[in-house]
Amino acid sequence: MASPTSSLSRRRPSVAPVNPSTLSKSVEIVSNDARRRVPWFTSEERDVLVLSTVMKVLLFPAYHSTDFEVHRNWLAITHSLPISKWYYDTTSEWTLDYPPFFAYFEYLLSWPAYFIDPAITTLSNLNYAAWSCIAYQRSTVILTELVLGAALLRFVRTSNDPSLQRIISASLFLHPGFIIVDHIHFQYNGFMFGIFLWSIIASKNGQLLTSGILFTVLLNFKHIYMYIAPAYFVFLLRAYCFSPNGGFLLQNFVKLGASVAGIFTVSLGPFLAMSQIPQLLSRLFPFTRGLNHAYWAANAWALVTAGDRVLLLWAKIRGANTAIDTSGVESTSRGLVGDTHFAILPNVEPKHTFIITILFQLLFLVKLWRKPDYKSFVHALTLCGYCSFMFGWHVHEKAVLLILVPLSLLVAEDYAHYRTFVIVSMAGIVGLFPLLFTPAEWFIKVGYTAVWFAVTLPGLARRVPRPTPSWIGEIVHRLEGMYIYGFVILQIVVTALNALLAWKSPNDSPLSKNSLSQMEFLPLLLTSVYCAVGITWAFLCLSWLYIKS
Amino acid sequence: MQRIGAGGRLTYVTVGSAALVRWMIALGGYSGEGNPPMHGDYEAQRHWMELTLHLAPAQWYYYDLPYWGLDYPPITAYVSWICGWLGSQINPDWFALEKSRGCESPSSRVFMRATVLALDLAIYIPCIVMFCRRWFAYRSLRTQELAIITLLLQPALIPIDHGHFQYNSVMLGLSLYAILCFREGKDLLGAVAFVCSMTFKQMALYYAPAVFGYLFGKCLWLGWQQGRALFIGLAVVSTVTLLSTLLPFVPPLSPFPDTLLQVVHRIFPVARGLFEDKVANFWCASDPIIHWRRRMSNDMLVRFSGLVTIASAALPMLHLLRVSWTAGGRQTRNVPSPALHLLPWAMYNSAMAFFLFSFQVHEKSILLPLLPLTLLLGDRGSEAEDGDETWEWGVLVNNVGVLTMWPLLSRDGQGMNYFLLLLLWNYVIGYNPLRISSGWFLRLLSIFPQSSYLLLALLHIIEIFSPPARYPDLWVVARVAVGCGVFGLSWLWALRKQVEVGWGLGGFQKSDKPKGTVGKEK
Repeated sequence: MASPTSSLSRRRPSVAPVNPSTLSKSVEIVSNDARRRVPWFTSEERDVLVLSTVMKVLLFPAYHSTDFEVHRNWLAITHSLPISKWYYDTTSEWTLDYPPFFAYFEYLLSWPAYFIDPAITTLSNLNYAAWSCIAYQRSTVILTELVLGAALLRFVRTSNDPSLQRIISASLFLHPGFIIVDHIHFQYNGFMFGIFLWSIIASKNGQLLTSGILFTVLLNFKHIYMYIAPAYFVFLLRAYCFSPNGGFLLQNFVKLGASVAGIFTVSLGPFLAMSQIPQLLSRLFPFTRGLNHAYWAANAWALVTAGDRVLLLWAKIRGANTAIDTSGVESTSRGLVGDTHFAILPNVEPKHTFIITILFQLLFLVKLWRKPDYKSFVHALTLCGYCSFMFGWHVHEKAVLLILVPLSLLVAEDYAHYRTFVIVSMAGIVGLFPLLFTPAEWFIKVGYTAVWFAVTLPGLARRVPRPTPSWIGEIVHRLEGMYIYGFVILQIVVTALNALLAWKSPNDSPLSKNSLSQMEFLPLLLTSVYCAVGITWAFLCLSWLYIKS
Repeated sequence: MQRIGAGGRLTYVTVGSAALVRWMIALGGYSGEGNPPMHGDYEAQRHWMELTLHLAPAQWYYYDLPYWGLDYPPITAYVSWICGWLGSQINPDWFALEKSRGCESPSSRVFMRATVLALDLAIYIPCIVMFCRRWFAYRSLRTQELAIITLLLQPALIPIDHGHFQYNSVMLGLSLYAILCFREGKDLLGAVAFVCSMTFKQMALYYAPAVFGYLFGKCLWLGWQQGRALFIGLAVVSTVTLLSTLLPFVPPLSPFPDTLLQVVHRIFPVARGLFEDKVANFWCASDPIIHWRRRMSNDMLVRFSGLVTIASAALPMLHLLRVSWTAGGRQTRNVPSPALHLLPWAMYNSAMAFFLFSFQVHEKSILLPLLPLTLLLGDRGSEAEDGDETWEWGVLVNNVGVLTMWPLLSRDGQGMNYFLLLLLWNYVIGYNPLRISSGWFLRLLSIFPQSSYLLLALLHIIEIFSPPARYPDLWVVARVAVGCGVFGLSWLWALRKQVEVGWGLGGFQKSDKPKGTVGKEK
């Protein structure tokens, strides 16, 4: 019995876009097609969406941090308490410490949660993590992340070079940072950065008022975006409230000011009416924490703290001639949340970090004032976030996303930008690894990051040809290459150390490692110092690229 | 060169992604999780590591049989011993004799899961990649990559090995390696690999008729002189391999022949019953109507089912022998015989015959027929006349194979992963069960898969409601019936297909030997 063969050729199935070369090839074909008719959603884009969603759902049973319980608790607070008690409740130690829009957002999410499983929104139900709760909360992360997906899609549609932008967009949608922080650790960064990117798109299209409004909204969702607010302020003031030849546009200024004030009224108004603003602010800005987070974020202070450790060691060997602050000997190696004291170097106070951050930011803001275009704005945004990450007080390692996301938009500028992107992505993502310390997630964080780099970098590298370097450029290039490959060694050493620590402890309980408590911090220290080197170097590179442009 | 380079990197990405998917599945539940006192297959494997580590080989097959006594062939025991030794270097508590029973600490889970992934990465995945590169060497790199993805993400094996917890990939990988060796003309090495596969897990026996048919057929094809030499070589090599895996169970290490008999008795348990649970094979599906166990004693059933199995599994083997006998070509030892192209078909037919008709079948045994069928699937869109038919059947049987494992997987806490893997695989290979094929024949054909999907989907919905009190197993039996129907028809189809493909081979490569009536088997 023979069957007709004519229909066979039409039924060739589509391939998943795992191959960068076939991806870009097919993307080119699509872009040719696009001239004829712009598809709403190409098959490559659908591939990315389907495959990433499958993966994110597969990660449901993965480890989740206390942030999961934090967000569950907020669902419970907003659902079961009147608004006047939201910022006062202390049933759980994870009190509400995000701005009101996020509280409203949790309130919206709490209703479906209540219908799915009322236990989720029961205030006293601390550490509730039934399957219904996990599945619901994890799904909300995936669903709200579609805001990011839509923004990235919009970038492709409005781009001059859709095939390149599609690679960048896909790389952002699949970014290991989001996978690690949102889909395993548990947060809503995808949603937040979605709003952020919408705001950037608006500024790219010249809709500066919309851009400002969206950013204000974002700021009322999560106040960490204050790190980059100076860039927005300067850019909107210069490009929206002043005409290109320097004339002040009062009408625009009033429009912008009224919009911003209006959004803040919606957000803070109810709490102002209840005169709860001081309480709210004390929740949002707890200045009682130390310079470094439990695990040092890979920034300048990690280097300084490590330098202090080295000096202390040196002083101990040489016999103490210098004054050693004894509280510093104990403090930093433990990695506890609390104040950091240096043993040798002068102690750093919040105002110091504040001044250094502002000084560096001013440098870029002046540049932005002089050159208020879109590219310059994205540079300034990235660098503002970068300064805050580098020199801020009690910076979280997760804040590195504030650098990685906007920098991705600049990756194809030229080879130097691409190179900076590679270094800071590598250091930033590896710097996130300690968030997932459970052995079961080790393979996922390392393997996924490796696959992501293997898929993303070749596709991008093809678009940014390397110029002929000078001899000094060649040496730097080699050193950077060594640094990048060094991450493999770092990962091996850190994994081996962690395995050794686990091995030496008689059972699975982490409490029984008294003799090794000094060692315990070593893998974290190695990671954060090694990453800090790359992040600092990339900061210098990017600053130079922006200032000289 | 550049194309090869790109292909190489792509393969790393594919393999890396496949490994990640496996590990993500492994984050889910496993057989008998948190379910004392007996737990499940996970505990069985862990328990074997424990007992092989602490006992002399002579005692392995005797030790506390009611609590997961060792009932897999020796290589499994050796691998367990290696894993147990490695694990106890990390933490001796995981495999402490007796005391570690039911050990499910988070770190020991990671270790156990990692052993499955490591063996998968060491044996099965390289074999798949090599197979696709060599077997489809005449196809484009793109097709080869697609074949690799199709095989690596096959949705039946991943949840069984990495979810439910077993080491089937080792057995399948070794069998696959044997086929690869046959293709390279290294028949002796292939025979060693296949014997290892069988002595890792006796289920590989399902392939034995096909492999025997190919190898003996090659001896026939080579003619008296060379064929005899190859036959003796194969016999010696297989026997030596088999015996060397049994060395610890013969004197001086163990009393003879008791231990050896005990090993055999443990590996082939005939006392268990016709079928276990509800498996979509002939006996289980027809049982509600015929009531086999009421009509015949267990002994009779063993003999009867054995007879049926041998008869049905012999069909593909005899066909292989016949094609080899009549085929011509350059008859040298270091090239494969023309019947090689029939080997995946014959493996499918013989494994499916075993699955449908043999005694004591697990639902997991469907993995054996699925492997050769998925190998054939990789060749889709080829210039072969009805490649599309193979594609359609291959996907259907794979999907139904997974669907019949639903009761098992949902019990293991892999219910969500089951849906996700089905979605992932069908999406990646570009299969849409709702699409109606063009062409009247395919349209007619596609009614059948679609109605099976529809029935099975309906069963998922119906399952929410409890079945009528008189028939508590109604939903399960219905699922079994649909599964068995699809498997049975696919078996008949593949038998016909094997004959057709053999026909094609005969047509091209017929030598001056008398033309037989090749189509007679039909």
